[in-house]
Amino acid sequence: MKKVSNNWKQSFPANSFGTQFFEEFSTRAQNVAAKVYRVKTGAEAQSVIVDIIKSSEAKKVVATSEVISPSAGLHNTLKGMNVELYTEQGDIRTHADTSDVGIACVEFGIAETGSVCEDSFSIEQRLVTTLPPISIVVMHSGNVVPDIATAFEVISKVFNRGYISFITGPSRTSDIERVLTIGVHGPSQFVVIAIDEDTREV
Amino acid sequence: MTSTNRNLRQEINEKLMDETLRGSLNRFAEAYPIARAKAYENVDDLDALRNSVRDMKIDTVERLEEIANQFEEQVTLRGGKVFRAKDGDALKQYLFDLCKQKGVKRIAKSKSMATEEIHLNHFLEEEGLHVKETDLGEWIISIAGHKPSHMVMPAIHLDRNQVAKYFSQELNKDIEPDIAYMVQEARTALREEFLLADMGITGANFGIAENGATGLVTNEGNARLVATLPPIQVVIIGYEKLIPTIKDAVPILRTLPRNATGQLMTSYMSMISGAAPALVKKDGQWVEQEKELHVILFDNGRLKAAKDDKLKQIYQCVRCASCLNVCPVYTLVGGHVYGHIYAGGIGAILTALLNSMDDFKQINEMCIGCRRCTEICPGKIDIPGLIEYLRAKSVKEDGLPFGVKAVFENVLANRKVFHSLLRLASIGQKPFTTGRVIRHLPLFFAGLAENRSLPAVADTPFRDRVKKVTKQVNKPKKRIAFFSGCNIDFIFPETGESVYKVLQDLNMEVVFPEDQSCCGKPVLGMGDHETAKKIAKQNIIAFEEARADYIMFACPTCAETWHVTYVELFKDDPEWSKRIEKLAHNVREFTSFVAGEYEKSGRLVKSQGGQKVTYHDSCHMKRGLNVHTEPRKLLESAPGYDFVEMKDCDKCCGMAGAFGVKYTELSMPILKKKVDNIRDSGAEVIAVACPACMMQIQGGLDKQAPNIKIKHVAEIIAEQIKE
Ligand code: SF4
Ligand code: SF4
Repeated sequence: MKKVSNNWKQSFPANSFGTQFFEEFSTRAQNVAAKVYRVKTGAEAQSVIVDIIKSSEAKKVVATSEVISPSAGLHNTLKGMNVELYTEQGDIRTHADTSDVGIACVEFGIAETGSVCEDSFSIEQRLVTTLPPISIVVMHSGNVVPDIATAFEVISKVFNRGYISFITGPSRTSDIERVLTIGVHGPSQFVVIAIDEDTREV
Repeated sequence: MTSTNRNLRQEINEKLMDETLRGSLNRFAEAYPIARAKAYENVDDLDALRNSVRDMKIDTVERLEEIANQFEEQVTLRGGKVFRAKDGDALKQYLFDLCKQKGVKRIAKSKSMATEEIHLNHFLEEEGLHVKETDLGEWIISIAGHKPSHMVMPAIHLDRNQVAKYFSQELNKDIEPDIAYMVQEARTALREEFLLADMGITGANFGIAENGATGLVTNEGNARLVATLPPIQVVIIGYEKLIPTIKDAVPILRTLPRNATGQLMTSYMSMISGAAPALVKKDGQWVEQEKELHVILFDNGRLKAAKDDKLKQIYQCVRCASCLNVCPVYTLVGGHVYGHIYAGGIGAILTALLNSMDDFKQINEMCIGCRRCTEICPGKIDIPGLIEYLRAKSVKEDGLPFGVKAVFENVLANRKVFHSLLRLASIGQKPFTTGRVIRHLPLFFAGLAENRSLPAVADTPFRDRVKKVTKQVNKPKKRIAFFSGCNIDFIFPETGESVYKVLQDLNMEVVFPEDQSCCGKPVLGMGDHETAKKIAKQNIIAFEEARADYIMFACPTCAETWHVTYVELFKDDPEWSKRIEKLAHNVREFTSFVAGEYEKSGRLVKSQGGQKVTYHDSCHMKRGLNVHTEPRKLLESAPGYDFVEMKDCDKCCGMAGAFGVKYTELSMPILKKKVDNIRDSGAEVIAVACPACMMQIQGGLDKQAPNIKIKHVAEIIAEQIKE
């Protein structure tokens, strides 16, 4: 998968990132209708994912391969549940629009705004986080910076070319009578799963 | 597109009658300041943050050429093509050629004001292309055949029933006016536009020279889809959106969402640098390839503005539209009256620069100069100042209508004639009630009073009372020359008497230079700088001769005119500029001066009990002179009064120079709100520190709340002084 950077962590400023900012991040994300789970292990993250898929009665899931690769278990579990899972680029393009759930990794959270920062250089990543109505993103709970300025300190070190997004809650509009309505073109549910152990393969 | 010969008055009246529009703008105006304040709760120093937006943009416009070149170079290095479009025609031609060359049939667009500016969709559709706006609000107005009425909420003028009607027409089925349902319908209807489009067109909120990235700030997620699915991507970006480095996006991202919609951050913020990958179907297989990226740098008047010392301020605009949300006039009539694409004060300016001066002329008087927009603007743009500047520019080029010019030169620029006419007015009261010229004279000439009484010209002007109220002061602390302004001189001479009483009680010697005239603000407001200079010179000579330590004003507008505008007026005239600078240094506003003196002598002791009094902040006083705590301190310490605050104490009363008379229909609803707020505060007395506000509010009270008295702060203080 194409990446803006293969190791964002190296760019985090020594003293201004970590789990100490997680709670503020989580509160603010929830303020804008995101669901936030913090779990200890990759295995627990998987069971959260499975729960969401079950309770939403999802039939079709697209995921980027990095979510799946360190823990092949998810693949089998979903198969057992009769849920179709697609992780290959072409399949993602074909099925993302009709999938119920998209699962992808994001790089870090921003406490000031409750946003997550997504390295969205790869086309798969974007298809997975933009098209399905339920969007699940996975991150490391220690990767939280306090504010936008710090986020940009990190970004400015790695962003030579590519595509970077902040995602803050589900898609929303207030274009009719200024009534806040969730899920217009993007996802109507946005779920962040933060894992304490670093499960990412670098 | 120039829209000449509009009947603005009729358009205004239509909008005033449009209850849907009035209701939604009103509700929004009430909710907006609360939402914004809440969004800024976790920002330590908002003013510093706004300064960083402004300073960064000022720095950029100084080096615009260099930064644009760097941006182009960096985009090109990363596989993009940059086209610099000098105007709408060039842009349209380029795009059309591109579509033809690449066989583009379907285009998905995400919101871009720059393309609205040149009616791009219309053009492409005429050429046979299938073009869809995908932003919900933009899509609604496109199917309704309307223009956007707000920069951020383009369909704010429509309610759910109207939207349902347009949906039903467009989708060919019955659509219930249920908002959540309609949003889902739009989602479904527009999905295939993203999936099938050959080309995606987006605007940009910023463009970064350092790495050629463009930034998009949206809530719906349509821009992300437009920038992801189609194999060709076009970004249309005005020069004013360029910023030097990646980090320079920070102040924009910390202010734009908060100011625009009261959000800490929008749902999506994307930065795209270089041609991103896309998937293209080849022989039944999805194949990854680099997108074709075209970045169009759009000029259309922007580069010229960048070279103008004043107008380059438009580069500080981040298009948050918050200036509309607080504007008393916009919130009454909405965006369509502004005639072109951009609404409100900033809209009038952008219209002049990006569209035509003719269109600007029709709408520039819609700004009443209250400066609420400047107070809130993330880029700290002096919107009313720029409007005045453009007005003066157009007067310089085209001149004033003959009658107006004649009156300015023969009446206002000639103190003796002007004052004898005023004296005549006190006898005849209404010698000039008809004719279009009169409206442009200082207000009290007009005598138009439909829903509001206008005050009568006093029997004896202040200048004829001076002798009686002047006291011999032994060993005066300072010598003060009083500039009364027309209002105090001819309408509220009692206020002048109070000023004398208070100052003399402070052991000051007060003098009244006989040759003083109108400060010239009405003439300046019309953009006639030549006549204004003549008037200013008379005043300068009169006050030089008075040889006073201070020049005292009980009218903030006159004070500001002397302090700021006179100085600007003569900045290219070495002799007069030296003379006015010396005097401007001595300008003092009455309430702040007295509060200072009282503070020193321990007279500012809070007192309680007595009549309830509330205070109205004049726009020029609060946002022009930055005086707002001092009059309150004086009122709080006045025995016999109990100070209470009222809601929206600093919102304009609707007077605003000639506006209050020329656009009575707009001025009245603004005044009515003011009167309601005064009444709701429970005050028996409303105190003001500006005679123009006094005139307006007095008129409103007279008709709507005759039990409430209005007093200038000077009168309230003077009451406390025993003879
Ligand atoms: S100064 Fe007042 S009236 Fe003029 S544009 Fe700004 S807010 Fe509107
Ligand atoms: S002028 Fe200021 S307040 Fe108005 S849209 Fe531009 S940045 Fe926002």
